Amino acid sequence: MFTKQMISSEIPMLMSKACEIFIQELTFRAWMHAEKNNKSIVQPCDVAKVIMQTDTMNFLTEIIPNNLGDFSVFDAKEENIANIAEENEVSLSFTAGFMGNPMMKMDSEENAGNIVEGNQATLPYTSGFMGNPMNMMNMDNVRMK
Amino acid sequence: MADSDNDSGGAHNGGKGSEMSPREQDRFLPIANVSRIMKKALPANAKISKDAKETVQECVSEFISFITGEASDKCQREKRKTINGDDLLWAMTTLGFEDYVEPLKGYLQRFREMEGEKTVAARDKDAPPLTNATNSAYESANYAAAAAVPGGIMMHQGHVYGSAGFHQVAGGAIKGGPAYPGPGSNAGRPR
Repeated sequence: MFTKQMISSEIPMLMSKACEIFIQELTFRAWMHAEKNNKSIVQPCDVAKVIMQTDTMNFLTEIIPNNLGDFSVFDAKEENIANIAEENEVSLSFTAGFMGNPMMKMDSEENAGNIVEGNQATLPYTSGFMGNPMNMMNMDNVRMK
Repeated sequence: MADSDNDSGGAHNGGKGSEMSPREQDRFLPIANVSRIMKKALPANAKISKDAKETVQECVSEFISFITGEASDKCQREKRKTINGDDLLWAMTTLGFEDYVEPLKGYLQRFREMEGEKTVAARDKDAPPLTNATNSAYESANYAAAAAVPGGIMMHQGHVYGSAGFHQVAGGAIKGGPAYPGPGSNAGRPR
């Protein structure tokens, strides 16, 4: 009906505060997810996981695929979580298969060199799962270049 | 950051910009402000990747469109032209963010007290509430910014900048917000 709407003077302040609370809630939940996987760096996949797991955040689901590039990264993670109870070799093999990169099992420096946008989220998870700090160190080196 | 990350990010943003809006920075809140607020929620040893900051930047813009779109719809159903604070709080409750309402009521009360003081200082008489209700969006932004600066004890500088950012994002929603192209965008920027 109306083509023109106005807002009262309290709206900018109120919406600003609401945004602050929203950002902090989203960030804190993402941090919880990252910590659960033994990571100290919050990544987009942590944020996306929160969005998928939290009902009130469902309005954001259409934003996720564009930002993360490869949505199936989640599916791989879900599988990995299911495999945690099994031997490390099984999980590692699955990850290698998912990435289609047999080099994944070999020297960590070569793994770092093979990182691409879509796979970036997977390696830190694998590193954390295997409890190997050397991989994380290589990740940091790559990022600083 | 790795070279590949920078290149990929740049290309991605460039592509999105050309598709949706010629002014990329108008679509989102300033990333420095978003980043600072994110850090306040985490312990000192936590780190946040740049991509995660950009993800949250997009999410909060969508949040603004989501809430204001619902509040705008309510005003239209009730044949009112101006969205007020209670409409916004109602929309948050309806959309599942009822936990936000209680702290926001506290901020709203303090804001109204400050506004009262400001009005008295500016004029001999108290302005009737309806006067504020009919402010335009831009006047509201300026007024809120002016009110916030003297009251620095209660509101920090980031808030003022955030207020400005809200309007920019709302304006951008006209182009970039397919879910709420009409009511949400109109709420932020009168034609």
